[in-house]
Amino acid sequence: MNARYVICTLSAVMVGVAVARGVHAEPCPAAGGRAAADVWFAEEVWPKVASLECLKCHKQGGDAEDTQFVLTDLSRARPSERGKRLQSNRDAFLKLAPLRANDQPLLLSKAVGELDHGGNQVLKPDSAGYRILAEFVRRVNVPSSTPARPPAVTADAAPFFDGVLMLDDRRLLRRATLSLAGRLPTESELDVVAAQGLKAMPELLDGILREEAFYERLREGFNDIFLTLGVDGNPDRSVLSYEHFEKTRGWYQRHDLSHIEDEKARRQAGYKLANEYRKALLDEPMRLIDHIVRHDRPFTEIVTADYIMVSPYTARGYGIFDEVKDRFKDPDDPFEYVPVRLKALVGRNRSEDQESATGFYPHAGLLSTFQYLSRYPTTETNRNRLRARMYYQHFLGVDVLELAARVADAAAVTAKFEVPTMQASECVVCHKTVDPVAGLFQDYWRFDNNFAIYGRRKEGWFSDMFSAGFEGDDLPTDQRWRALQWLGERTADDPRFAATMVGHAYYLLKGRHPLLPPADLDDPRYAAKLRAYREQQRQIEVIASHFVDADFNFKVALKEWVLSDDYRARRLETESGTPERMAALDDIGVVRMLSPEQLERKIAAVFGQPWGRLTGQTAMLYGGIDSKQVTERATDPSGAMGAVQRTLANDVACRNVALDFSRPKDRRILFPGIEPNVLPAVSAESDARIRDAIVHLHQRVLGRYDNANSPEVDRTFALFAGVVADAESRQGFDPREAWSCRQGLESPVPDPHYTVRAWRAVVTYLLRRPEFLYE
Amino acid sequence: MRRDFFKWCAFAGLGLAAPVRGQRAGRAADGLDLPAYDGPYYVVINASGGWDTTYLMDPKGVGGINRLYREGDIVTHGNHRFAPTAKSQQGGLSNEDFYAEFGGELLVFNGLDYAVNNHSPCSRYMATGKLDSLAYPTFAALVAACQGPSCPLSFLTFGNYSATGNLVAMSRVPYLPSLKRIANADAISGNQRAPYHDDFALARIEGALSEHRGARASQPLLPRQERAESMLYAAQVNSKALARVTPHIPQDIPKQRLARQAEIALASFKAGVCVSANLSIGQFDSHANNDADQMKLIPELLEGIAYVLHRAEDLRIRDKLVVIAQSEMGRTPTYNQGDGKDHWSIGSIMFLGPGIKGDRVIGATDEGQFAIPFDPHQLACDQDAGIRVRPEHLHEALRQFAGIADHPHSRQFPLGIKPEEQLRGLWG
Repeated sequence: MNARYVICTLSAVMVGVAVARGVHAEPCPAAGGRAAADVWFAEEVWPKVASLECLKCHKQGGDAEDTQFVLTDLSRARPSERGKRLQSNRDAFLKLAPLRANDQPLLLSKAVGELDHGGNQVLKPDSAGYRILAEFVRRVNVPSSTPARPPAVTADAAPFFDGVLMLDDRRLLRRATLSLAGRLPTESELDVVAAQGLKAMPELLDGILREEAFYERLREGFNDIFLTLGVDGNPDRSVLSYEHFEKTRGWYQRHDLSHIEDEKARRQAGYKLANEYRKALLDEPMRLIDHIVRHDRPFTEIVTADYIMVSPYTARGYGIFDEVKDRFKDPDDPFEYVPVRLKALVGRNRSEDQESATGFYPHAGLLSTFQYLSRYPTTETNRNRLRARMYYQHFLGVDVLELAARVADAAAVTAKFEVPTMQASECVVCHKTVDPVAGLFQDYWRFDNNFAIYGRRKEGWFSDMFSAGFEGDDLPTDQRWRALQWLGERTADDPRFAATMVGHAYYLLKGRHPLLPPADLDDPRYAAKLRAYREQQRQIEVIASHFVDADFNFKVALKEWVLSDDYRARRLETESGTPERMAALDDIGVVRMLSPEQLERKIAAVFGQPWGRLTGQTAMLYGGIDSKQVTERATDPSGAMGAVQRTLANDVACRNVALDFSRPKDRRILFPGIEPNVLPAVSAESDARIRDAIVHLHQRVLGRYDNANSPEVDRTFALFAGVVADAESRQGFDPREAWSCRQGLESPVPDPHYTVRAWRAVVTYLLRRPEFLYE
Repeated sequence: MRRDFFKWCAFAGLGLAAPVRGQRAGRAADGLDLPAYDGPYYVVINASGGWDTTYLMDPKGVGGINRLYREGDIVTHGNHRFAPTAKSQQGGLSNEDFYAEFGGELLVFNGLDYAVNNHSPCSRYMATGKLDSLAYPTFAALVAACQGPSCPLSFLTFGNYSATGNLVAMSRVPYLPSLKRIANADAISGNQRAPYHDDFALARIEGALSEHRGARASQPLLPRQERAESMLYAAQVNSKALARVTPHIPQDIPKQRLARQAEIALASFKAGVCVSANLSIGQFDSHANNDADQMKLIPELLEGIAYVLHRAEDLRIRDKLVVIAQSEMGRTPTYNQGDGKDHWSIGSIMFLGPGIKGDRVIGATDEGQFAIPFDPHQLACDQDAGIRVRPEHLHEALRQFAGIADHPHSRQFPLGIKPEEQLRGLWG
């Protein structure tokens, strides 16, 4: 401690202090002013200042780890330990709060960049963060005084979901079956839910999560996160390198297709073979996730699995087909996968051979797959930092570049230091975390020569980078050959991993990532946003805890989210929400615009056949991704997407309405209880039949359970009757459906009263509604 | 026309952030055609990866900063000084030709301080003017939300950072043929003579949807629900206006990357269905072989800008088109061992369009390519009392230029520039 500092020996620092009960500690009236400081620390200082600013450097592995002010990152602590860790962080602040230098509180002077603060200015003197810290200092030093302001979030607020109505159980089941299995609920499932209510859901979900369609959705959802389908180039070149798979990766070019006599057919078969091989290669990482979840294996295996998944086609590419072919049910199925442990790589010359103490490739789940490594390649100057960044984002939920620290003069810093990333505090703050992880990827260095993945840098790893390791732990030399396994083991053991995976489950279900903590302390809605964030974090922690207790069974995370208030939220009870309340509830509920793939599945579920046109360019136009350049799905509809929706509604109705009427009644799915000859405004009985048909359509297409005399049904009835009446008033219309809409019928469907077209208008209307297009 | 447009917007209530309520929505769907947005139009062109400004608008012929020309080779055109590239370019348009044609209209700002030098935060910062938030909209999205929220393709993007702040939907129309495909959504295969529904039936469908929206708007929905349903309704209703794009889609698809994007954006502008577009070309991140890469990419970029302006002239919207050319960072004043240049947090930006006085260069870097502090009121370098001009300063100026600085959407995303730091008279 610098001698300049005058130590104010406030007895409060020396005596024991009331223990903050955790991040959401409540006031303890009996403890008086000191307790107020403790609450202030837990509710204000820690979440709004210390965890966002101080912790960047003042932690183990941080740039200020050698100072006497070292904090603990609560996100790295297990939930049961967080109260204690918060207490030790508070104690660290309590020790500093009484200290003064140059007649100013030391803590505040450091925060504004004075007293040679290594992190320079982290708070502006007029900022909300500074005022929070100043209030803490005041409370510590004058504990008997009245608190200047209460914490922004009060403990006596009403329960978060008060006034939010939840989905009824039938609609929750429909939401879950469509989302996870791409189908409507069966009658028997609906019966079970009708009889047992919400408590039936876990078992029903167990069944849904065993369906093949769920695994398709699982792979699709996780590719949205990991984007491994976006590997550049031909995967048989970019995934399987020339150095190690030269003789085997092109097996399809030599594959014997001579049994196909016709030359054109043989050529086509060759193309198909190559395409399926490449697709199978790209799909391997997501098949690993599929395998782990399907067999209820610990989800930690996505970073620890000592195997990869191979298909009969990809096994040929690796040159191991003969070894594993007996394990396939169908050795000719390009997309049947089995787990396999590869042997250590053998190159074209000894320098390309892989070092391995076991003789096997050191698999570390996704981390060491060739697809992940080639999707996130490196360069001579990037030095694996992209990989380290993606590792943090994918597996620990930390985006190291998300809120990059502003530097007073970044150019000057770059020029001033020989190695800014190790010497300039502005750079060190991130690089001390990122660079050691980048170093763990050091043996996957090759990025030229046909994008070989494995290979050591000839000159040795960079000495002007922080050495390989993970958040303060150096990689032992004898672990280098299995560095990614070493990383995977630490990742699986890190509490952030479980929380991040629970966040991925949330993303799969809701199409958006969990909330970030609000950053703008001056935002008038800050308190509301903070409350929303905390409520969501609380839910994540609860689910993460159950996920861990269930040996990291990913299905547990999915099921718990489905049953959560957040997922089941339907609408508000009354329209009396204050702006603050609406800000707090801003993210709840699913309200997810369906992706092209999901929409196709929903159309197939409702109509018995997909539309089939939400592919390729149209899918991109509809907000889809290519996993390469376009990696974020559109979440809101543009006018272009509105146009696609119009076309979709028109065309799907066109293809299905007359077709359904052309089937025998017992095979109809849209109109099982009505015929085109039932006209509106003819009799009460005919109107009732039409209304019943509308109720059925509302249920099937929209998932609504409407009463036949409800305003919703009234509106649809008015549409149907209005179209029929308009047609009648015009006279002379064609007594047949439009040509395009009467193709492929099972039996003729005349339309002398225009009712078939009126029903088509009804279905078009329903398909354009948010209940259909959103989840 | 412009007044009609705003009147219609207010009438129809189709702004995305302002939910459609009650009968107003019904009137919009009853057949009131969406008026065409008639400008100004904004094109933001991103040189993605970090351009080498010393090979374009901020030439340095000393200190080994570049290897292709010397101080005496630097070219001038009016008030502009730029690097000579005619002898080094690999395709595209040379600086000499670009400045000869457009220098008189061009405003350049040199010495822009990005504050950090990583792609992701820099891209976000340059696009939004806010470094430390993921919530802020890009300028292109903000201006679209303020000036044409109901345009079906109000904010088009072809890449780069494109956050919208939930103010407006982002439109991705990656291919010209896609535009044709969506232009006539109510006709079978886009053939106007083969509508799916008779007119009266379609009118009934629209009416029912409008009524439904009105009924929903009066219910206590979740905030996200209210927003989503409002946006969905607006997207479908407004998409009818896309039929106006068809006549402006060219028969031939150009080969150049920027030109392909430009055709989609310009056709949409011309049809009055779009306010702003993010255009982007990548691969500027020249960590290896800087000179070869930049000599290919900068001419390609300039050729693209020229294409945008020429085609805008063909379509007779040039006088309403504002072009901003930027990159998320510059390149170091030194070469690395691979003959490349790494990230540099000082750079430049170019503006051109109606209301922007050209033939001007504002701001500067010194011989070492460091930003020289700048007096924002005098628009002159001031080593002693100047400020570091950062993206938020330019964004504040852009908001004022576009007349949206006081729009509620802009106020929702404040940039926090004090009056004494605002760039006064930047546009001339």
